[in-house]
Amino acid sequence: MVISLFGAMLARLWYLQVLSGPEYRAEAQTNRVRLIYTEAPRGRILDRQGRVLVANAVVSAVLVDRALITEKPEVLDRLAEVLGVPRIEIEERLTDQRFSPFQPVPVVDDVGKDKLVYLREHQEAFPGVEGVQLTKRSYPNGSLAAHVLGYVGQINDRELDPRRDEGYRSGDSIGKSGVELAYESDLRGEPEVEQLEVNADGRVLRSLSRKAAVPGADVVLNLDLDLQRVAEESLVQGLEAAAKTYDEDQAKRFLATAGSVVVIDPRDGAVRAMASVPTYDPSDFVDGIGSRRFAELQAPEGRYPLNNRVIQGLYPPGSTFKLATAMAALDKGLVRPSDTVDDTGFITVGGRRFQNARSKAHGRVDMPRALAVSSDVYFYRLGQRFWEGRNGFGPTAIQDSARELGMGSATGLELPFEATGRVSDPARRAADNAKNPTAYPEGRWFTGDNINLSIGQGETVATPLQLASAYGTFANGGTAFATRLGNSVRSVDGKVLRRIEPAVTRRVDLPAAIRGPMLSGFTAAVADPKGTAFGAFAGFPLNRIPVAGKTGTAQAPKPLQDTALFVGFAPASNPELVVSVVMEEAGFGSVAAAPVARRILERAFNLEVRPIVPGQGVD
Amino acid sequence: MQMMAGNPRAPWRHVDLSLVAATLSISAIGLLMVYSSTRQKQLTEGLDPGYFLKRQAVFFVVGAILMVAVMVFDYQTLREAAPALFAGSVLSLLLVLSPLGSESRGIQAWFQLGPYQLQPSELTKVALIVGLAAFCSTQRGPIEARTLMILLGLVAVPLALVYRQPDFGTAMVLVAIVVGVLVVGGAQGRHLLVLGFIGLVAVVAVLQLGVLQQYQVDRLTAFLDPTVDIQNTAYNLRQSQVAIAAGGFGGRGLFQGTQTNLSFVPEQHTDFIFTAVGEELGFLGAGTLLGLFGLLIWRIWRTAALARDRFGSLLCVGVLAMFVFQVFENIGMTMGMTPVAGIPLPLMSYGGSSTLATMMAVGIVLNVHMRRLR
Repeated sequence: MVISLFGAMLARLWYLQVLSGPEYRAEAQTNRVRLIYTEAPRGRILDRQGRVLVANAVVSAVLVDRALITEKPEVLDRLAEVLGVPRIEIEERLTDQRFSPFQPVPVVDDVGKDKLVYLREHQEAFPGVEGVQLTKRSYPNGSLAAHVLGYVGQINDRELDPRRDEGYRSGDSIGKSGVELAYESDLRGEPEVEQLEVNADGRVLRSLSRKAAVPGADVVLNLDLDLQRVAEESLVQGLEAAAKTYDEDQAKRFLATAGSVVVIDPRDGAVRAMASVPTYDPSDFVDGIGSRRFAELQAPEGRYPLNNRVIQGLYPPGSTFKLATAMAALDKGLVRPSDTVDDTGFITVGGRRFQNARSKAHGRVDMPRALAVSSDVYFYRLGQRFWEGRNGFGPTAIQDSARELGMGSATGLELPFEATGRVSDPARRAADNAKNPTAYPEGRWFTGDNINLSIGQGETVATPLQLASAYGTFANGGTAFATRLGNSVRSVDGKVLRRIEPAVTRRVDLPAAIRGPMLSGFTAAVADPKGTAFGAFAGFPLNRIPVAGKTGTAQAPKPLQDTALFVGFAPASNPELVVSVVMEEAGFGSVAAAPVARRILERAFNLEVRPIVPGQGVD
Repeated sequence: MQMMAGNPRAPWRHVDLSLVAATLSISAIGLLMVYSSTRQKQLTEGLDPGYFLKRQAVFFVVGAILMVAVMVFDYQTLREAAPALFAGSVLSLLLVLSPLGSESRGIQAWFQLGPYQLQPSELTKVALIVGLAAFCSTQRGPIEARTLMILLGLVAVPLALVYRQPDFGTAMVLVAIVVGVLVVGGAQGRHLLVLGFIGLVAVVAVLQLGVLQQYQVDRLTAFLDPTVDIQNTAYNLRQSQVAIAAGGFGGRGLFQGTQTNLSFVPEQHTDFIFTAVGEELGFLGAGTLLGLFGLLIWRIWRTAALARDRFGSLLCVGVLAMFVFQVFENIGMTMGMTPVAGIPLPLMSYGGSSTLATMMAVGIVLNVHMRRLR
């Protein structure tokens, strides 16, 4: 019996040590090793000239050993007194699951230097308390370009789950929006990983190894800091000016509290400025945004300052859509440029009256003239004839041109959440109605719908960036570029790691016979005394820098006031920039939006930058 | 010495050197492993790394002196002393339950004597062996049922007192000694069967009726599936097996075991000392240790067979039962073969009373061996 007992013990010993040894040895290894991750300094975001838009600031913080809470609670009392924060706040941080249990917890960020010195001089009274320097995001230009830059926050479970393989851990920072999110993988870098040996009580005995952090790369944008600043100022001033003008339709002043501006280079799609109002301060997010502040940012009264209206705002394009209608008409041979329409201020189709703004009669107008003075009647006729001749032209001639110019699809900007917009057409109308007859009671498409479409009203909506991109495509002679904020990714020492090349998304056939007459129309809109943007550009040296453009005034669903739009490019002959301005509840594009574009172009072409003066005319 | 050397029957010429060698070897490994399993933890806490080693060395020296002392007088004197030893141990067990005794980890089992603790239940093992051997050796032929009842009644007293502490592990050792001595000492087969049945019923009843504390039941049953709840009861067991298995064939080297150095095995220098052997010395070391225990047990067995009288033989059987049970239960426990119970590994585990009692028991066997020739 004794022999069999010893045999059994030997057999078990053999099984454990020799047969299962490696497996258990691995378990012994995980028992003793703890990995500590420290995030790398995040890369900076720079403008096209390398000027800093987002950097990292070094701040003083107080780190506290978790064990204090149970072992030496009296130290916490003293610490709370020195730092001037409630003790309960410190305890909350110490018990916060976001922080690693093996590392001291930062209880107060941004400690004053005097307090830090006091703690260091009285170290014996504060065992387990350590003053350190931490890096965090800093915004030297305040809220400038907030929507472009986005903000950084603590990773949440929804973001973490798909990224565990990439080395993300609970408590890490991650870009939440804007460039911070779009270029997250470049900006992040690789964390420092330290292997610590711990005993069964979790006590750290020594460091086994340390892999140094790889700092995040800098992202250089196409954005121009100066132009961005002027774009934001001009938009704010333009809204203020518009708010002083009177809305005759609604018999009150314009609200004019929101709007956006985008400036792109039509030669490659580079975004030079991008502004959205109302805006927010990204530094609100630096230490983790409070729930009350976040609620304010989400409240309807605040008009959603977190939304980037350039890519998320969807507006009926109004008269700026005439770009597509004119292109379709010339392309399909519906009219010749010189064909005229007698604009009597309105037309009546099917018993319904369609009129110009304020029913203003423009007389006989050809296409360039119709674009310059914004004759709706001219384009109503085009819309009407397209629909009546749909057997020859197809039922979606205008929509096809609009789509060719990029409407109804995202422009390909790197930023997340870019809206695609919508180009309304008969098929879509029918499909919507079939799917949801309550929300879409009408499934048929009438002549009136084509008439509305021709001047950018109805269910068709576009983002300000889509309008800029469409005019950019027209301006450069027919090449649609994906819009691009990023220019290159650079290492900390300035070496270019990656260039973000322009990308062509489509080519649009724009022979001179089509483009020429349209361009003269857009140029006349700015330069001709009868042009809708003439007043806004008064004093602008158009002889040196000719500007082409189109104003627009889009009706919004009641009770909203009209949306003011202007999209233009300069120099008209050899375009370098496209400016798109869209202002909510601000009235006529010629009055409210065009002056904003004018002021931005003054800065872009190194002219004297003059104050915003409301333009004149109706469109 | 001259006279002894001249007499071929002189007892000191018949010391079982193999048994002595096995005892000393195991004790030496024990000292080494007590040091290895405590030094790092002591260092981490800024304490003397040799603290436990030095104390265990004192226990060993005192134990060796006692072992020799036990060998000096003919073991026949133990027969006369048996009632007094038995009564003395019962008395000490009673006293330890009184306020004179002190408690540690919920067990009232120690007398605090200056910097040392005395655990009377360990010494009770030796007293019980002597008492049982003395009692059974007086019986002519098979033990009558009535006599057996008296015997069991007497044995039940220290057993109940140890269980009262509650020291379940030592109580089981006492049961093993009783069974061992009775089987060899003339108990009738049918009586043993009945006792076995009663024992079985008692075990089931104990497990079912909540006589044991819940933690005791948990520990006993944890070995069945240690992977279920790694955090609580089975945690020790899991860490224990991880330590042993991580040693592999050749071991991780003395003082190199991470499970050992980083205190992942609780109670490692006492009940789980074998895990330190397994991790640091590997299959080679642990197998050698098992071989030494095998040698030790074989020599005790041989002495039992060679003893000049029934009393001497039964003394050896009692010591044999104690060793076999403790070695198998303790090492088996660390490898997940047997239930977890607080039983030291003889000559290896840190602890004064255990070391003293074990070496006295070895001394008794050596005594019997020395005087096997009439």
